[in-house]
Order: sequence, then C-alpha cells, then structure tokens
Amino acid sequence: MRGWMLVLVGLIGFSAFCAESLVVIGPWSGAEAEPFLAVLKAFTEKTGVPVEYRVMRAEDIATVFPAQFAAGLTPGDLVFGWGWWIKEFAGHMVDLSSEIAGIPFVTEPIIVEGKAVGVPYVTWVKPGFWYRKSFFAAHNLQEPTNWTDFISLLERIETIPGVEKAAASGDGVGWPLSDMTEHFLLTFGGLDLFMGLIEGKVKWESPEVRAIFENYLLPFLGHASEPIEWTAALDMWWDGKYGIYFMGNWITGMVEDPNDLGVFTLPGCKAVVGGTDYMFIPKYSKRVEDARKLLAFLISKEGVALRVSKGGKLSMRADVGPENYPPAEAALAQAVGALTIAPDMDDTIGGDWQRAFWDQLKLLWVKPEALDDVLRILDQLHPAAKG
Amino acid sequence: MVFLGPGLLLLFLFVIFPAVQTLFLSFQNKDGFAGLTNFVNLFRDEAIWNPARFPTKVPPWGALLHNLVWVCIHLPLTVGLGLVLAVVFAKAPRWVGFARSALFLGIVTPMIVGGVIIRYLFEAHSGIIPQILGALGVPKPWSSGWMAYPETALLGLILGSIWLWVGFSMILHSAGLSSIDPELFEAAQIDGASEWAQFWYITVPLLRPVTIVVAVLTLFWELKIFDIVYVATMGGPGRASTVLALEMYFAGFRALDPYRASAIATLITVVSVPLGYWFAVRRLRA
Repeated sequence: MRGWMLVLVGLIGFSAFCAESLVVIGPWSGAEAEPFLAVLKAFTEKTGVPVEYRVMRAEDIATVFPAQFAAGLTPGDLVFGWGWWIKEFAGHMVDLSSEIAGIPFVTEPIIVEGKAVGVPYVTWVKPGFWYRKSFFAAHNLQEPTNWTDFISLLERIETIPGVEKAAASGDGVGWPLSDMTEHFLLTFGGLDLFMGLIEGKVKWESPEVRAIFENYLLPFLGHASEPIEWTAALDMWWDGKYGIYFMGNWITGMVEDPNDLGVFTLPGCKAVVGGTDYMFIPKYSKRVEDARKLLAFLISKEGVALRVSKGGKLSMRADVGPENYPPAEAALAQAVGALTIAPDMDDTIGGDWQRAFWDQLKLLWVKPEALDDVLRILDQLHPAAKG
Repeated sequence: MVFLGPGLLLLFLFVIFPAVQTLFLSFQNKDGFAGLTNFVNLFRDEAIWNPARFPTKVPPWGALLHNLVWVCIHLPLTVGLGLVLAVVFAKAPRWVGFARSALFLGIVTPMIVGGVIIRYLFEAHSGIIPQILGALGVPKPWSSGWMAYPETALLGLILGSIWLWVGFSMILHSAGLSSIDPELFEAAQIDGASEWAQFWYITVPLLRPVTIVVAVLTLFWELKIFDIVYVATMGGPGRASTVLALEMYFAGFRALDPYRASAIATLITVVSVPLGYWFAVRRLRA
C-alpha cells in the first residue's frame, strides 16, 4: 500500500513538473536542434520558466493541429510551421502585434486581417552547391565561372577514384530536390519568371521553363546521384563519395568542420532562395503569457544574437549583423550579400502542390524522359489552375 | 439494453456518426450538394485512376489500380505462405520456434517502423536486396534504390510488407491446424497417403474457414494500406506507389479538401464491401 502511495505521489509530482513546462514544437532534431536548445536554456535561466522542446515536422504539424484546433486544444504553446499553413489557420492563432512592434525584420511577419499571427525566426538561404575545400584542393578543382566550366567540373569530379557521382541528391520528402530545381530556375530564368511560376502567371509547360529543364537541369541530372535520404547523403558527400551537395546554410551546423566548407552558386546566378521559419502561438494554449515571453526573448537582439552565434542560421533582424556569426556564416553572409533573396517556391505555394512538386521531381531525377508529364502535372495542380 | 448502452453509444459516436458524416460530405462541395461530381472527378483524376498506362507502361497506374495490384500479389502470397509456414512449423523440431517468432515479429512491429525497415531494406547503399541483386549482376533499377524508381517502388512495398503480415496468416493457420483431429492424418498415413496428399486433401479443406477469415482480413488491410506507403515513399516517385488511403490523407490534410477526401473514403468502402462480402459469404458457403 505504501509503495503504491509513493508511486502515486511520484506521478502527481511528475505531472506537476511536466505541467509547468512550456511546450515548444519545432522541426529540428539532432545536431540541427542543438543551437536552438541553447537559446531555450538561456530563456529558462533568465526567467525560471522551464521549456520542453518536442520535435515535429511541418508536415506532421499540418496534419495533427487542425483536429486539435477544432477541439479547442493545442499540443504546443509555441510552434514552428509553414507560412502558407499559418495563413490558412490564422483564426486559431494569437495576435502577436505587440511583441513584434518596432523590430526591424529582414523577412516580413505573417499578417492576416491586421493581426500578426506568424513571426519569423532567424533566416536561412539556399546558396548553392557546397564542397569541401580540402577535397577541391586535393584534386585541384576550382569553382566554376560559367556553365561549361560547371559541366567540366562535374566530369572531372567523376574521374576521381571513389566518387560515385559528381553531385549528391538529398531526399526525404523531396524538398532537397525542389531546392536545387528552384536554384536552376532562378539562375537561368531570373526572378520575374520565378515569381511568375509561384503566382501561376507563368506555366511550367511554357517554352522558357521547359528550356531551363532541357538545357540545364537534365544535363546536370546525368551527373547527380539518385535521391538519397538527405542526412545519409550528407555523410556520403562528406566522406568523398560525391563532390558537391546542394543544401541550405544549415549545413554548417551539421558537418564536423564548417571551416572546410566552400559554396558556389550556379554561374550567372543573381538570386537565391531564402526564407525563415515562422512561429505562432495557438490561442488554445493555457500558457499564452509565458509563450509570449518566450517568443519575445527569441526575437530579441539578445536571443537572436545567441542563436546565430551557434551557427547554421542567419539573423532575421536587421540590427543583428554578421559580427555575431561564426566564420562560416560570416563568409556566407558576405557571399550572398550581393544577391537578391527570393521566396521559397514550394513553401510559398504550399498545399497539395508542394507535395506534388517534391514527388514529381523525385520522378524526374530518375526518369528525365518523364519531363513532359512532370511539367503537365505541375501546371494541373497549381492553385491558380484550380481556381 | 442497459449494459449494451455504453458500448452502443461509443459505437455510434466514433464509428457510425463519422461514417455517415463522411458519406454525406462525399456528396457535397463547398457550395452545397454536389451529387456524384466528387466521384466523377476522382475517376477523371489520373492520381486515382490511370488505366491507360496499365500494364504496358511503368506505374503510376492510379491509386485504385495500385491497391488492386497490391491485393493480387500480396493476398495470395501472405495467405498461401502463412498456410505453408504453419504446416512446416507444426512438423518442424521445437528449436525452429525462433524462426516462427521472427516471422511473427512482423505483425507486432508498428507499421510505421515497418515502413522505415522497408525503405532501408531496398535502399541503394545500405539495402540488402539491391546489394544482393547488384552482386548477381542484375541491372538498374533492380540493383539500385527500389523506392526511388517507379518500376520498383510499388513492388518493393508489396514484397516488403509480406513479412509484416505473413505472421498473422501463419498464427491463425497454426491455431486452425491444432484443431484438426490427428486421427485423420494417422488414417491417411495407414492408407499410404503422401505428405502432399495429406496436405491437399485434409489440411487445406479443413482449414478453409480459417483461410477465408485470413483472406478477408488481409484484403481489408490491403485496401486501407497507408502507413507503410506514407513512410517509405509518400506514394512516389511521381505517384508510382500511391494508394487510396494516402490520396485520402493528401486530400484531407494537404489540399484541405474534406469533400474529395470523403469521396475517396467512400470509394474505399465501396471497393472493400463487395470484395469482402464475396469472400466472406459466397466462398464460405461454397
């Protein structure tokens, strides 16, 4: 009996302990999450409010939360999600206008009917193809300056013993492939065409888009691996099975030696995709005030400086500059400083098109001859075509 | 009735009401009553129904055909293999029990985990299947990542899922075998019947009710298959391995279109019920 009482008291105590924690739900895990966990720890030390971090991909948040919202519940007090999805469910979010007032954001918060429902948290860019400086130096390889150079580079990499393909292609649900495709579209089609595709004003089957695929992306695919789970691809690329790897700047926080990283855009590129992770507070949170405090800390100069000092992300505040970055991010910020930042295409369009885009590109990567079908389906499923 | 009340209430709230609501929604769109429009649209959508490519071209053939292909391959293999394994293990020495446990492990493994296992089983670099086929000189895509290619993704999922389900068939057949009177086999042996004749003329007919139950439950499992596909391929590449339940999920939670999702759910029911009825009633009578 006594034992049971002790267990009961323990459970009540544990529940009370758990109940005190503010629940933050975000997409990062492992090495990618560590810099963010350091910021949460700093918040707890400063305010005494314990925070529990739970990992949930944006795809899963989009699945789980609507039913929770319908029941007036939320699994988390502060949550990270896709911008398009936050807009769609804006009615379930707390207005954060007072928290963001006066903050010089680089990327705009999500405002719906005058309410700030999504707040940007740090920024990322997808600057181009990463390589190991030591690998390039050992094999006397140079960053390409034009398209012919680029193809020559790919061919030279493939002659190196132990290399399977010149470029690694990351996979998961498909986003690494869409990142690469967007880079080709921006480089060879320009920002106007890119924005036209997002808005549905330019068709995927149009001659200019088809030409980018036929003249540039498909020839590149001849030198790219089939899609491999992106973290596994990262390890294989780092170990020298592949020479270059297209990825966002969070890669700097995922490799053994960020100082060995070099990056180049496709020759002639004038814009790269960049964006932010948006956070929101569901209005069903029982800890809205504490969640507001945490959000305010995360977007404060102190919080942002701390986060970006850990690497992997750039500041979303104009007044927190490169002086806070580790060397790899500082070099990256300098490299992309002259480039225009374009919105992430699939994150912006969202919905089922996003999933279809990833899926169709997975097909294109292994079946380039399916180009006609791929372009047709991307046009068919675009929200603009559906009306 | 008093004792049945709570159970009936739960049944109504969590089964009957949602089912009726789903049926109702499948005939609606955002403007109101839509008649059969949602269903007509489903059959015009190549993600659901694409018979023009079947069977001469590689998938996608549409989710409905993919489900039916799943049934055609997975159903006989799991039911037949489960029956054979049950018979083999019944006659095998006790120490092979570990093999039976290993097979049964599949059925107690969460399907999400099963999907991950399938994904890595057929992965180009770490998967044992492509490695073996590569060593035998089999060309791509069979010696590459099966989940990455439209030719192999659906087949890989189906073959991979056999391990996940065959334990169920084996256990039910084992239970059925233990209920057969041993004197029947003894009499057959005295009459000089071969092992095969005993299996074909005694085991198979007497296990028919069990086999039908296994077949019906397997059929329903195949028609509502979701988790394995979601984890291993997300229905790709290029919809080459998509299935109805996955399309229902995409419609409901990605396209945020409850009407299309409900129509797909209704379609799954419409396909399942006659097939299940045919198996359960007609075959049992036969």
